[in-house]
Amino acid sequence: MNSKWWILRRTTQLTMLALIASPLLGMTFFRGNLAAADLFGLPLADPLAFLQALIGGKVLVLAYLGSALLVMAFYFILGGRSFCGWICPVGLMAELGDKLRRRLGSGETTLPLTTNRWSLGLVVLTVAATGIPLFEVLSPIGIISRAIAFLSFMPLLAVAAILLVEIAVSRRVWCRSLCPLGGFYSILARFSPVRVGFIESRCTHCNDCLRVCPVEEVLAPPLERGVRQVTAGDCSRCLACVDCCPANALNIDLFYKVKQN
Amino acid sequence: MKDVRMDTESTPPSGISRRQFLKGSAITPLALMLAGSGVAAVYLRPAAAGGFTLRPPGAIAEKRFLAACVRCGKCAQACPYHSITMAGGEAGVGIGTPVIIPREMPCYLCSDLPCIKACPSGALDKKLEDIEKVRMGTAVIIDRESCLSIRGLRCEVCYRQCPLIDKAITIEPRHNTRTGEHTIMEPVVHKEKCVGCGICEKSCVLPKSVIVVQKSVEIQKDSYEF
Repeated sequence: MNSKWWILRRTTQLTMLALIASPLLGMTFFRGNLAAADLFGLPLADPLAFLQALIGGKVLVLAYLGSALLVMAFYFILGGRSFCGWICPVGLMAELGDKLRRRLGSGETTLPLTTNRWSLGLVVLTVAATGIPLFEVLSPIGIISRAIAFLSFMPLLAVAAILLVEIAVSRRVWCRSLCPLGGFYSILARFSPVRVGFIESRCTHCNDCLRVCPVEEVLAPPLERGVRQVTAGDCSRCLACVDCCPANALNIDLFYKVKQN
Repeated sequence: MKDVRMDTESTPPSGISRRQFLKGSAITPLALMLAGSGVAAVYLRPAAAGGFTLRPPGAIAEKRFLAACVRCGKCAQACPYHSITMAGGEAGVGIGTPVIIPREMPCYLCSDLPCIKACPSGALDKKLEDIEKVRMGTAVIIDRESCLSIRGLRCEVCYRQCPLIDKAITIEPRHNTRTGEHTIMEPVVHKEKCVGCGICEKSCVLPKSVIVVQKSVEIQKDSYEF
């Protein structure tokens, strides 16, 4: 049991919040939010926001396409939902909410992880049919970012509603099963090279990892059938399992090793 | 080493109780639907319900703008006058999009158009480089009876403040028939020159501005339109 990855991850999450807030303090190295940003002059863009702007706005800016592809490549290598585990402010908020939920012992029900593929489909269909970029309108990521950068606090009520549902009814339901951006990154991460590896011979089946994992379904193939890696795209690479494993049976692994086996 | 299998067909029967089933399959989706429709009721009101929204320079046609704008706020952060603010939930589908409220802070028409340069997605058209070609809207004197100039006083503040003085707003003198011996110096907006920056609306000395920016009479053509 150690907290090496936890410290690193929490630092990254808090750094992101600080970056989004930095223009308020007169700093200029970061501009924008998680939908589109400039970091030290490097343009970065959320690929799903790009897709909605392209379909609904019928506008193609090549530099914008490039920055969306850059971000996609980055998350593809690290495992798509590493965005959710390391960067997204909603992820951080939901994690803290989940701590409270555990203490209350409420809302244990869950929805299947694959629901977010349907939300993604809904977002793409809506923008194609009506021109309304559903996710940019409803996105709690955008709402939190704008609350930080522009101090517009009223829309935070929607985020509070999500948090309330997560605490009272269904465990981390937004991040696990509903977020369209999560669905997008789940699909992207299916073949990501950096993964959580599993060394079956060391595993004592204490199930500590299952208790800390926000998407414990992804651990079933390794634990039940000895699959050498967590292959599901839903793994957010939070590495809580690697931190907590008392037998060091979980580590960071690379995709190509499976083929050698 | 066991063989590596990807499928999940061998999962054991779940054996959940009726109580768990109801909680999982009925109550949870119901609660989510309720929460979802609540959020939708707030956000998905018709965008046009609020009427005309003054967008930053170069904004493409409103319907496409709503989709093309990714609500990153970089235009607002680039604006040196803080003229651009981000709409809140009251804007419905337009939540998080940039708006200019002239009475608070109009657009001062920076010649280098930093807001357009900051826009990543093309919602603000980068091909617009000439500040006089901006068409955010058109100024209209909506309350002629209150306008001090039209009432016969020498106000003309909107005319003096207009960045396109003598082009977008001119003073047209005519005989004051009411007094019979004075001249009415009436400010007249020329729609083919007015960029819709809102400086006149800001400058109007009356408590409620009689000159306001409304939807462009001459619609700005963006380079994505054919």
